[in-house]
Amino acid sequence: MKKALIKDALREIKKTYKRFISILLMAFLGVGFFAGIRASSPDMVDTLDTYYKNQNVYDIQVISTLGLTSDDIDAISKVENVEYVDGSFETDGQIEIENKEVIAKVMSLNDFNTPVLIEGSLPSAQNECAVEPSFLLANNKKIGDTIELNIEDSQNDDGEDVPYLYEKELKIVGTVQSPMYISLDRGTSNLGAGKIDYYMYIPESNVQANSVYTNIYVKVKGANEYTTSSNKYKDCVAEVKNKIEDIKEEREKARYDSLVNTATKKVEDAEEELNTQKSDAEKQIVDAEKELEDGKKQIEDAEAEIKSGRAEADREFSNAYAELTGVKKQIENSEKELETKEKEANAEFDKLEEQKEELNSQLSTLNSGISEVEKNIETIENTLKNPQLPDEQKATLEETKKQLESKLTELNSSKTQLTSAIAQIDTGIKNGKAEIENAKSELQSAKKELEKNENAYYSNKNSTYAQLDDAEEELANSKKELEDGEKELEESKKEFDEKIADAESKLNDARAKIAEIENPTWYVLDRTGNSGYSSFIQDTESVANIGRVFPVIFFIVAALISLTSMTRMVEEQRTQIGTLKALGYNKFHITSKYVLYASLACVIGSLLGMAVGFVLLPKILWKMYSMMYQIGDIQTSFNFEMSSLGFTLIVISILGATIYAVMRELVQTPATLMRPKSPKMGKRVFLEKITFIWKRLSFSKKVTVRNIFRYKKRFLMTIIGIMGCTALIVTGFGIKDSIESIMPDQYAKVFNYDLQINLKADLDNTQKQDFINSLTNNDKIEKVCETYMSSSTAINGSNEEDVQIIVPSNNTGFDTLINLADVKSKEALELPADGILLTDKTAQLLDVEAGDTITLKDTDDNEVQVKISNVVENYVYHYIYMSKDMYQSLYGENFESNVILTKNFEMDDETEDNFVKDLMNEPEVASVTRISTAMNMMNDTMKSLNYVVVILIVSAGLLAFVVLYNLSNVNISERIRELATIKVLGFYDKEVYLYITRETIILTAIGLVLGLVAGYFLDFFILETCEIDMLRFKKFVAPLSYVFAALLTILFTIIVNIVNYFALKKIDMIESLKSVE
Amino acid sequence: MSYIEFKNVCKEYKMGEVTIKALNNTNFSIEKGELVVIVGPSGAGKTTALNILGGMDSATSGKVTVDGKIITNLKNKELIKYRRNDIGFVFQFYNLVQNLTAKENVELATEICKDSLDPTTVLKKVGLKDRLNNFPSQLSGGEQQRVAIARAIAKNPKLLLCDEPTGALDYKTGKQILKLLQDTARKENMTVLIITHNGALAPMADKVIHFKNGTAENIVINEHPISVEEIEW
Repeated sequence: MKKALIKDALREIKKTYKRFISILLMAFLGVGFFAGIRASSPDMVDTLDTYYKNQNVYDIQVISTLGLTSDDIDAISKVENVEYVDGSFETDGQIEIENKEVIAKVMSLNDFNTPVLIEGSLPSAQNECAVEPSFLLANNKKIGDTIELNIEDSQNDDGEDVPYLYEKELKIVGTVQSPMYISLDRGTSNLGAGKIDYYMYIPESNVQANSVYTNIYVKVKGANEYTTSSNKYKDCVAEVKNKIEDIKEEREKARYDSLVNTATKKVEDAEEELNTQKSDAEKQIVDAEKELEDGKKQIEDAEAEIKSGRAEADREFSNAYAELTGVKKQIENSEKELETKEKEANAEFDKLEEQKEELNSQLSTLNSGISEVEKNIETIENTLKNPQLPDEQKATLEETKKQLESKLTELNSSKTQLTSAIAQIDTGIKNGKAEIENAKSELQSAKKELEKNENAYYSNKNSTYAQLDDAEEELANSKKELEDGEKELEESKKEFDEKIADAESKLNDARAKIAEIENPTWYVLDRTGNSGYSSFIQDTESVANIGRVFPVIFFIVAALISLTSMTRMVEEQRTQIGTLKALGYNKFHITSKYVLYASLACVIGSLLGMAVGFVLLPKILWKMYSMMYQIGDIQTSFNFEMSSLGFTLIVISILGATIYAVMRELVQTPATLMRPKSPKMGKRVFLEKITFIWKRLSFSKKVTVRNIFRYKKRFLMTIIGIMGCTALIVTGFGIKDSIESIMPDQYAKVFNYDLQINLKADLDNTQKQDFINSLTNNDKIEKVCETYMSSSTAINGSNEEDVQIIVPSNNTGFDTLINLADVKSKEALELPADGILLTDKTAQLLDVEAGDTITLKDTDDNEVQVKISNVVENYVYHYIYMSKDMYQSLYGENFESNVILTKNFEMDDETEDNFVKDLMNEPEVASVTRISTAMNMMNDTMKSLNYVVVILIVSAGLLAFVVLYNLSNVNISERIRELATIKVLGFYDKEVYLYITRETIILTAIGLVLGLVAGYFLDFFILETCEIDMLRFKKFVAPLSYVFAALLTILFTIIVNIVNYFALKKIDMIESLKSVE
Repeated sequence: MSYIEFKNVCKEYKMGEVTIKALNNTNFSIEKGELVVIVGPSGAGKTTALNILGGMDSATSGKVTVDGKIITNLKNKELIKYRRNDIGFVFQFYNLVQNLTAKENVELATEICKDSLDPTTVLKKVGLKDRLNNFPSQLSGGEQQRVAIARAIAKNPKLLLCDEPTGALDYKTGKQILKLLQDTARKENMTVLIITHNGALAPMADKVIHFKNGTAENIVINEHPISVEEIEW
């Protein structure tokens, strides 16, 4: 390039610095915005990538539904291209803090996913742990404090419960930031309210239940060479992932077999033992029963014996008693008889004494008679002794002797008779008397004996009965003993039965469990399995999407404007070009001046743009995203690809435009070029044909109208420029509107409740009911609604979304707490009887609509199919609403409320604070979420999005300004003669200004209106592409935003016009009207 | 006192270190209704004087009076007002607004001044009654200059200032234009100043002012001006 031309070019810059700067600014804005926005997404990914590499985050993780063993680790480590593998223990635990219950994800420290130490140290001793900083903040704890971590016992492969931890009193030794949780979402849990509140780390040495790993992490060989989520990285990981998938089935089976075998063996052993125990116990029971039976018999015998003994004794004693009384009576009778007898005997005795005296007298008579007889006999005898007596006299005498002898015998016998009679009487009396005496003494002795007998009777009776009583008592005791024994036996029998039943049911359960042991499923996940990671990557894609649309508009506008500027410049220098051509400069040399001019503007502008864009935009964007992600500071880098792309594009558009403009002039001959360009022909415009309008226009308006249509290129440029800028501003405001409306829409329109009270899980029905009643009766609460909430995954084909299921206990009145409105018709909906209500964004993400069926998978992996009755309005997170009946029929479970929603009467913040504090202290309450707090927190996050909006608005505004300024510069320079003429004609400055500004105003107005419309669509498009999965942006632009956008554009127009006013005022009539050079 | 008086008018341009005196103590006066021709070589200060008189430029020193109004004292806005109501300009290159028809170009001027004449009448007067609705590009140079003159006259100015009005025209057309200007001065009793480097035109004027080296060197009053048609050059 010739020196003179370079000098000329540089002088040209100095002379037309405004034009130069405006082209420079175009390049600055175009490249800066393009490069900055485009670089933001890769910068964000790079930042994450570095973070992940530093923390050695896994490439692939394997989770199994039945846990993983060291065999699995061995198997995976043998897979090709696996660098190394480690197992990890991760589970959910509960921490009770001041009557509050928080759920923590407890992870063991290992080589993978090393947390970043923020303060203190990493836990190394068994009783140490590290928590996230917000845990300390939110729960008023500090490093050095101790917390109690409760983790459910885990079952080892032998089916035994093993305490999960060795130590559950843990000392907080440090705060950490986990690369596994870069987003604020901590995931779901089966515990508590179903949401994980915090994560924490413990050393592996504290894990007692360490036979089964929950996760296996894999580092892929060579993966670190690539940026995470880049295609190369994905390919590299996918290859290994596929290979792990290949061994998946085999490992699943191995795990299944080993589990089934262990369990079966265990069941068999247990069965055997149960059986022996059973038979032993049965035998024992039989023995005991027999013994009892014997005892019973004995008791019965003894009872009978006692009974008969008593009967006998009764009989005997009554007999004895009767006898005794008989004897007594006899004795009494005998006594009486004896008395009478004595009396009689005494009378007899007297008679007998008389008889005796008579007899004695008879005896004496008899004696005398005997003596006479005897004498006679003696006489006879004597007589008879004379042997001569005659026999006849002898015979007579013998006869008389005989007679006398008989008589004597007779007499003697009488005498004996008498004597005996007397003796008899004597004896009789004697006997009688003796007899009486006898009787008396006999009676006496009988009496004595009776007395003796009586005594003996009584003593005998007493002793006998006493004995009997003793025996009876003894029997009663034995009976009782027996009863006790029986009872005992019954009890032990029952116990035994129960135990057996229990053991049997356990066995059955165990057996059923074996049957239930499902084939384990391995989930081989890459990093996208981590929700924080995937949402971050998604967000970077959103940013990339914005980067795809916005800068393009910037580019188009910038390129068009630069084109106009450069074309004008070349046109202005037509004569010079002609002169140079005439002097013999070739096309290349002539062009190079303008190329140099444009290049300098491009290069300086681009470099400035890159310098600002590459640093500022990603930083601002990061600031906004850092509210939602914990990763660290962004690394901004000079992105060669983006910068060269942006630079190339701007150079192509500006230099291209320049070269095109120069070439267009250069084709003409020098002579033509040196003549002034024939002015553009005046033309009638279409509007003139509509005479009734045209006639009504004032002269100046007619002029304006005709002028507008005269410069079609500028007309288009201005309109496109203003339209683009207005659209960008509208979009900026529109995004702001959408973002700002989310919270009020969600927390005032959809969620009308004030408090969400999560109940503790172990409440019984009365406790719960009492608590609910106390809430209902609380004068601060307007409305109470019992609900069941649980986390679930909604699935449609390959689309999956985490959703919260909400089931109210009572359909009526629920709509006053949560407003269920159809997303399209906005009509209020009832909970349907045969389906569910799904929130709008979820439906979109799942690609379903009302009437479709989706699958719900709960945290225990149970799957149910359900029909979507309606899609409802919702803005934050994903929800499914279903009626109680629907829930019960769907899951076959009883409805069990776990969350209470309340709507409170108006109260000031302090009252609410205290009220909530009191509620939290209730023993039934696990936690209380205030809508106002949730809203404020979300609002803070949302506010960060405003940065982007401000960037958009400011850059769009800048663009608008540059566009307008540039165009009016071109306009003035193009029409300088015309303007000078009207000045000469005596147009006041204001009139001159209006003459030109009227056109600008009309063009701006058209551009503005079109821009407002285009902004509406651009806003839609941008929101569509950069919407965060969790949120539903309400796509609308508030009327005020249109006003603001319009006002901003108008403001820029006014500023530019003010600048113009002075530029117009400065127009030198004389210079301008001099003959064309 | 004359209708127009130029008294000791100086005009200096500062170009960096150098000061160029475009007018150096110029004095002349013009009576109402006079047709004045200003002649002189390039750079003699004719145009500068005309520009100052027309309110397009200001004098560095001296006094210019037009109809009793001292225009050298006027502020910018008053100058515009002066241009607007009192001055009609005709340029060498017509300076018509390309986007306006002949009539509209005239209207452009009449729209803004108080005692303007009817554009159509004026255009008829300058002989363009068939060209009223033509755009400048559809007119010949002479016709365009006629439009320019019509535009100037329609304002009904006190002064009609013409800077080389025939410079871009051929002989015949130029003559017609000059005739038009002369007739205007005579018929409308308008004060007309014509700048020309063509000294042959001098006889047509009531007064001829000769410029040289930035000053009115010689002022000749023509007692018997002749009609343009009679002048040949």
